[in-house]
Amino acid sequence: MLALLFILFAGLAIGCALAVVAQRNPLYSAISLIGVFISLACLYIMLAAPFIAAVQVIVYAGAIMVLVVFVIMLLNVEQQERGRTRLKFLVPTAVVLAAVLIAEVAFILVTVQEFRVNPTASPSDIGITNSIGSGLFTRYLLPFEITSILLLMAIVGAMTLARRGGLLSPDARLIPGAQTLPLHLVDPSAAPDDLRPVEMESSEEAARLLGVDPRLTRKE
Amino acid sequence: MEPQLSWYLALSAILFTIGVTGVIIKRNVIAMFMCIELMLNAVNLTFVAFASFFQDVTGQLFVFIVMTVAAAEAAVGLGIIIAIFRNRESLDVDEASILKL
Repeated sequence: MLALLFILFAGLAIGCALAVVAQRNPLYSAISLIGVFISLACLYIMLAAPFIAAVQVIVYAGAIMVLVVFVIMLLNVEQQERGRTRLKFLVPTAVVLAAVLIAEVAFILVTVQEFRVNPTASPSDIGITNSIGSGLFTRYLLPFEITSILLLMAIVGAMTLARRGGLLSPDARLIPGAQTLPLHLVDPSAAPDDLRPVEMESSEEAARLLGVDPRLTRKE
Repeated sequence: MEPQLSWYLALSAILFTIGVTGVIIKRNVIAMFMCIELMLNAVNLTFVAFASFFQDVTGQLFVFIVMTVAAAEAAVGLGIIIAIFRNRESLDVDEASILKL
């Protein structure tokens, strides 16, 4: 019975993973990836790890994939075009490397001898919230704290990367005539997210404020 | 017949290999990103399988660390993807061949 469930969920995971690679539209890849996450959560439940399974669904299939789908929608990506300016031998190379990797792992799985371990706790203790929490806050407190610093760095880094201000591309052009700029570019004392529109009299003034060479104004 | 530890390890290896293959052959940077997530999940399955068969909770704790790293990677990675797209109007990794954003 458990073997049948394993085969079902493992087949689902492998099929969805193949679909992630095979799909040309990133949105379909993302939905297939959610299928992989859900079937892995089912496997975690079979492995007596219900808390990990719940976190898998909430964090991976929920938060991270929402972020990915949001970015796909935001950027409005068109489908991947077939074989233009692409190295021709890349797919055969990938297949060969994948075969080598699978062969290595299969070799290890077959040749490493069986080992016996003595369980240190009763099976019902493993995987419940209590044991995970006590382990996380006692013996593994340092990795936990390092993780919090990592998340802080990720927040700051993401905000810095996705910020728009001052990142004009070198070939930016100004249209001659009146310009409308956000207030925070005009008045340095305004808050950086103050986007109230300010009318500029000329393109030269706007160019000076934006740090763009005024000679780059485009003739309409 | 109960599922053995080697079954889970084999499944994890297959998923990891599919992820590696995807990273090599995909051109869209978001698709490559999702293949990396697939590889992280394959490793997570290994951790949970060992934790379950050895009756040791440590493996499950490391799954948490991996998930946090994945979340941080998602935030920073998608920020980089947005910055690349804003500058190049393309998500093709072949066109983003210099590090300058």
